[in-house]
Formats: sequence, structure tokens, C-alpha cells
Amino acid sequence: MIQKLRQSGTLLGFVLILLFFALKLPDTFLTARNLINISQQLSMLAVVAATMTIVMVMNDFDLSVGSMASLSGIVAAMIFTAGYPVWVGLSAGLLVGVLGGLFNGFLVSVVGILPFVATLGTLTVFSGMAFLLSDGKTIFGRDIPTSFSGFARSGIEIGDIKIPMLTITAGLVIFICWCILEHTNFGRRLYAIGGNKEASHLAGIKVVRLRLIAFSLTGLGAAGAGLMYAARVASANPTQGSGLMLDAIAAVFLGMTMSRRGEPKVIYTLVGVLILGVLDNGMTQLRVDSYVREILVGLIVLAAVSVSSLSKRRQS
Amino acid sequence: MQSLTFSNMSKAFGGVPALADVTLNLSSGRVHALMGENGAGKSTLIKLIAGVLKPDSISVSKNGSPLPLNDARDAHEAGFRFIHQELLIVPQVSVAENILLSRDLPHRFGFAVNWNKVQAIAEEALAFLGATHIDVTLPAGDLPAGDKMMMKIAAALVSADQNEPVLYVLDEPTAALTVEESEMLFDVIERLKAKGTAILYVSHRIDEILRICDDVTVLRDGEFVTTNEISKTSKADIIEAMTGRDFKDAYPKREISIGTETIVRLKNVDTTNLHDLSFEIRAGEILGVSGLAEAGQTQLLKLFMGVGKIKSGTASFIDEELPGSPSDAWARRVAYIPRERRGEALCLDMSVRANIVLPHLSDYGFYAKPWLENKDAHKFGAKVRLKSNDVSQPVGQLSGGNQQKIVFARAIQGNPKLLLLDEPTRGVDIGAKYDIYLLVRELSARGCSVILTSTDLPEVLGMCDRVLVMHEGRQAHLLERGEMESADLLSHFYNGHQAS
Repeated sequence: MIQKLRQSGTLLGFVLILLFFALKLPDTFLTARNLINISQQLSMLAVVAATMTIVMVMNDFDLSVGSMASLSGIVAAMIFTAGYPVWVGLSAGLLVGVLGGLFNGFLVSVVGILPFVATLGTLTVFSGMAFLLSDGKTIFGRDIPTSFSGFARSGIEIGDIKIPMLTITAGLVIFICWCILEHTNFGRRLYAIGGNKEASHLAGIKVVRLRLIAFSLTGLGAAGAGLMYAARVASANPTQGSGLMLDAIAAVFLGMTMSRRGEPKVIYTLVGVLILGVLDNGMTQLRVDSYVREILVGLIVLAAVSVSSLSKRRQS
Repeated sequence: MQSLTFSNMSKAFGGVPALADVTLNLSSGRVHALMGENGAGKSTLIKLIAGVLKPDSISVSKNGSPLPLNDARDAHEAGFRFIHQELLIVPQVSVAENILLSRDLPHRFGFAVNWNKVQAIAEEALAFLGATHIDVTLPAGDLPAGDKMMMKIAAALVSADQNEPVLYVLDEPTAALTVEESEMLFDVIERLKAKGTAILYVSHRIDEILRICDDVTVLRDGEFVTTNEISKTSKADIIEAMTGRDFKDAYPKREISIGTETIVRLKNVDTTNLHDLSFEIRAGEILGVSGLAEAGQTQLLKLFMGVGKIKSGTASFIDEELPGSPSDAWARRVAYIPRERRGEALCLDMSVRANIVLPHLSDYGFYAKPWLENKDAHKFGAKVRLKSNDVSQPVGQLSGGNQQKIVFARAIQGNPKLLLLDEPTRGVDIGAKYDIYLLVRELSARGCSVILTSTDLPEVLGMCDRVLVMHEGRQAHLLERGEMESADLLSHFYNGHQAS
């Protein structure tokens, strides 16, 4: 009973938040247009949070995703500027993500540095590289090909509704992450590593290799989100990804309050993302000061995690 | 003589009784054994006495007058002291500070810690226990397991604010100790007895209970079965009371002779920690590895799991080199049951199913196949007589014996050629122990070679065909079946310098 309540508490909170905004903003909040708008606003965060879940399943995490998103955007934009076709820029951006993720994985699993310290270091490194490459300037205008930025504006029309490509991309990434974590033996092994690293190693699981792969997937996701962001604003700036990291980790934590034994799950991470996105959208419409918004979001995350950990303690 | 009576002890979890109306009479200067299989209610009883679990009912009286017991503070003030099987120590901090952990450190000038006095108090407590060899300035984490136990007992001695300890509860104190260290503990228990405290002693090891205890109370399925003076009962009676079954020989006999094929060959092998290893193991043979604690038994087993590098000498497993990594080892049908069940074998929050199939996930292909895993988990769970039908239950909720069976189910699923067992029956109740011995015999009969480390002497004698005695990482003796008949001989090797 308490277990069920604990698990559904966050979901209940989400419903209450939706109800609150629906009552306060009867004309604008629960409209197809606004909801689609939210989904598009959230698509980058959803991609980063879903791929962040992959490392958090192993009890690791990656602080460098935000600066990786900025870096990949810059790399792609520079390649566009140099006159190469769009696919070259995209591949280069994603490749940077994989390599950066592999480097994180190398530091964590081969060298053996705590993920907090290792990815804090690479956060600074990636961010510095983004500034260095771009000379600290925003790359925009004619340098960004329209076929690239057009992607973010296009969508698939179903009746009167146009579902944005960014939303569809995010949906696809979430689906793939869900398949990987829940339905492959690779994912099962990651959960086992999270459950007990030493036991997993002695049970023949290739812990070092799997952590390398998991970190590179997170890097790939961060880079993908960076490209989505660059397409959406049709420019690349060395700081544009920086807000993603904290929100992504917050979303995974919110999600963990919903799962049975407190382990991260992609579906619950998605709920966490939605909570953060809906709050942001609703409060913006209510013209809540953005600083107040930040305080509220932080408090809500703390409240959800506190309730979950208190009820867990009561249980045992 | 003082008496201490705990009566009407009851506790149910979610309507299921874990302890039903149990009464325990303790007297000062006597060691009272509490026995029962896992799940019999021993831990619940201890937690009620410690005041850490809220009882459905309990009444306590000392010399006939009632004693309040509502929480842990009451238990402490009544003079009850607890020494748990899993030693909670602060490893980075000195022995002296660990001993004085639960009380204020003595001061001088009103604020500065008086380190000389801290050490003096700690040394005095250890001296009372006869453990003067322990250096109180060392970090506690550097002590061997036996000395850590001494340290915890010393801490219990001095933890009193002013009140004298009245009762010591020792929960499986010898589980992590060697024979030699256990002897030291028994001496300490004698001293505590002589001082006039009552002792409640929980252990699965009947032989040691028969030796050091005065009375015994047996629980089964949460209910009181019997209380008896040790002198008026026998091993067979106790086992029958615990299991509700007739006493049977504790170790199943070998029925099928050892094979002819040599599975493992080691010649003059040296690693960083191990030296002079030379032995062969044939198919189906059970090789015991014994010695003092941390004499290299675990490293020897891990060598076959690909952990640790061979520096010189030659080693082979089925005519090839030893496995290079744990995953290689499992792939070549080496199965490993580590010493630390919780730390090295199980993911406690995960299901029975996930824990059983863990090393065999590659057999299921790329996509997870929960239905096949369920089938296998049920199949191998049944083979090890696992007492849980729900394979989705987290293993952390199961008893020690059942947890160990899960690790065995995992090993058996790989149909092993070589089984590595590190203290396989540690913290496991008698019923589950026998099941585990049967499994080992079964595997051996199928031609699987076994290396078994144990500090439990009767277990080594009862199960093994040959015994390798290790001393400080060196192969000291390799005893054949014929030389093993006398337990005295073997205990001589254990104790080394001690006269036996």
C-alpha cells in the first residue's frame, strides 16, 4: 500500500500540476497547439535525459552532457561554414559525442575516477573546446544551411495537427533507449552493474567494456540534442547546451521516485521530463518570474525525492 | 545468581508471525545458546531484546521485578550489549577510538581530547579480554577479523556510561573467524562469564555450542521448541529439535569414485600473493583448501576466475591456459561461489531470476527473453531446493541459506566443469547446509571438479578428498584422504604454533 503510494506519488503530483494549470489557464494550456509546443520545447531535454538514464542505471552519471551538446552544435556549424554538406556536419557532431562519451567512459572505467570528478573535468574540457573552436562567438545566419534548420520547423501533418520532427526524433530516441534498457541483455547487464559492480564482474560481466559503451551512448545522445538545439535556433553558441545537464539529472531523479526499487527507468524519466517541461511552460504563461520558477522547480524535485526516500525508510 | 526473563515475546510481520509467545530465561554467569534454522525467529528475538523492533508483546523482568523495554535506549540502560555478526567498525579510525566510539572521549583542559587516556582505557578493556597483542593506535580496518571481534567486545565493555553490562548477545560471532581466533573468543566468553554477566549466544555451529554453552533454547518457525541444559542433551537431539526431522549424518558420503581425467594442473606456480602451488585435480574430485584466515584461499580460487596473474610456473585447466577473466572463466564452465555473498555474489535489490541467470545472459541472445529466464530460474531453483516460488522476489528479502542456494543455482545453470566454493556454508542454517552438501556431491558425481575453502574443520573432513593447507600464501601441505582421518592432525596444521 505504502509502496504503491510512494510509486504513484510523483505521478499524482504531475496530474495535480496539470489540473492546476488547466484551471488557471483554461483557454491556452490544454490546447493541442500548446501541448505540441511543450513537446517540441522538451525534445532536447528528453533526448539527453533518456540517454542519461543509460549511465544512471549503473549508478554512474555524466555531468558533461550540457557542454557536449554545445560542442557538437559548434562542430557541426563550423563544418557547415566550411562548405561541407549537411550530412558531414551532422556525422561529425555525433562522432564528437561518441568520442567524448568514450573518453568519459575511459576515465571512469579504465582509469577508475569517480564519475562525478571525471565528468566534471570533461565538462570544463568540452566547454573550453567549444569556446576555442567558435572563438566565443555565435555561428548563425547564412552559414547555417536551411535544410538543417528547416528540419526543426518541419513536421508530419495529421489532420490539422502538425507533429514537429523534433518531437518525433525525441520519441524515437526514447523508444530506442527503452528497448535497449528493458529488452536487451545489454540493458539487463547494465542494471546488474548498478545493483552490484563487484558481483557482476565476478559473474563474468564485462563491466569495463559495458561502461565504455554506456558512456558513449550518453555522449551520443548529448551530441544529438545539441544538433537538435542548433537546428531549432538556426545557430550554434558555445553555451547553448548548458542548461540541459541539471534538468536531465533532475528528470531521472524524479523518475526514480516512481520505480519499484528506486532504479532509473526510461519511461519514468520521460514523466520526469514532462513534469519539468509542463511546469516551465505553465509558469511562463502565468508570467511567474524566471528566478522564482527556478526556485520552485528545485523545491519540487527535492519534495518528490524526499517523500520517496522517507516512505522507503518507513517501509524497511 | 541474577536472573533475566524475557517472556511473551511475540512479533508478526503483516499478519505472519515471526515469533510467537517465546520465553527465554537467562542467568548471570551462564552461556545460553539460541538455535534454530534461518527464519526460525532468532534475529527477530534479538531485535526485540535490543529494542530496535517494536514488539507485539514482550515483558522483561530482572530478579522478578519488571524492567521497561520500549526502545534501544532502554535496552542500553538495562545493560544489554550486542555484538553482531557483521562487524560495524570505522575502518579509517584507530582501534582505541573505535572502542570508545559510543561514549564521550576523555578530555583535558576542558576541550582537548586526552589521547593518552583514550589509549589507556582501550588497552585496559583489551587486556581484560586477554587481547594485549592488539596495537590500539592502528587503524581498525587493518586488524584481522578475529581482532576486530575483540575490539567490538571491548567496545561493548566500555560503552557503558556508568551501568555494568548485564547481558551480552553474540550473534554468530565465529562466522568470520578462524579456528584459532574462535578459541580466543571462547576464552573471552569464559572471562565474561566469570565476571557474572549473562550471555546469549547465537550460532549455527553445534559443535561449538556443545563446547561452550550451558543451556540451549531451540526455536522453529517462530515458536519455542525446547530449553535444556547442554549436559542433558545431545547433538542429535538439538538437530532434531531444530529441523523437526531425524538426525542424519551431517555430510553425505561419496558414492561415485573420482574420474581419471585431470582437469587442473598447477606446477610451481607463483603469483604476487601466492607461492609454490603444485597440485592436480581430477574430474569429480573435491579438493579442500584450508588454513588460517586470509592465508590465500580466496586468491587461489580467484586465480581460476582470471583474477590475478601467474608470474612463474605452469598452470592449465582442461589442457589449456587458465581463464583470463571472469567472463572467460564462466564461458569455459568454471563456476564461482564467492565468500562474500552480499558483496561479491548477489545484486540484493534485484530479483531471484535476474540473479540466477546473470552469468548466462549471453545464452539468451541479444534480446532479453524473460519467459525463458523464468523457466530456467524455476528449473534451477527447484534443483537447489530453493524455498521461494516467486522468482521475481528481490533476493535481499530471502534468508542467508536461500540466498546461497540462488548462487548455487547460478553455478549449476552453467553445468560447470570446475566449481569454486569459498566458504559455501557460512551463515547458512543446518537444513540448507545439508542441501548444499548434497548438491556438491551431485556435481562431483557428474564429473565436476570442486575446490572448496572452509575454516569449518568438520566440513573439510566430511566433504573433501584431499586437503591443501595454506600458510601465508604458500602451499604448506597437501594431505591425502588417508592422512586426514585424524582431526587432531589437521587441527595441528591449523593452529601451527599452538599445541593441540
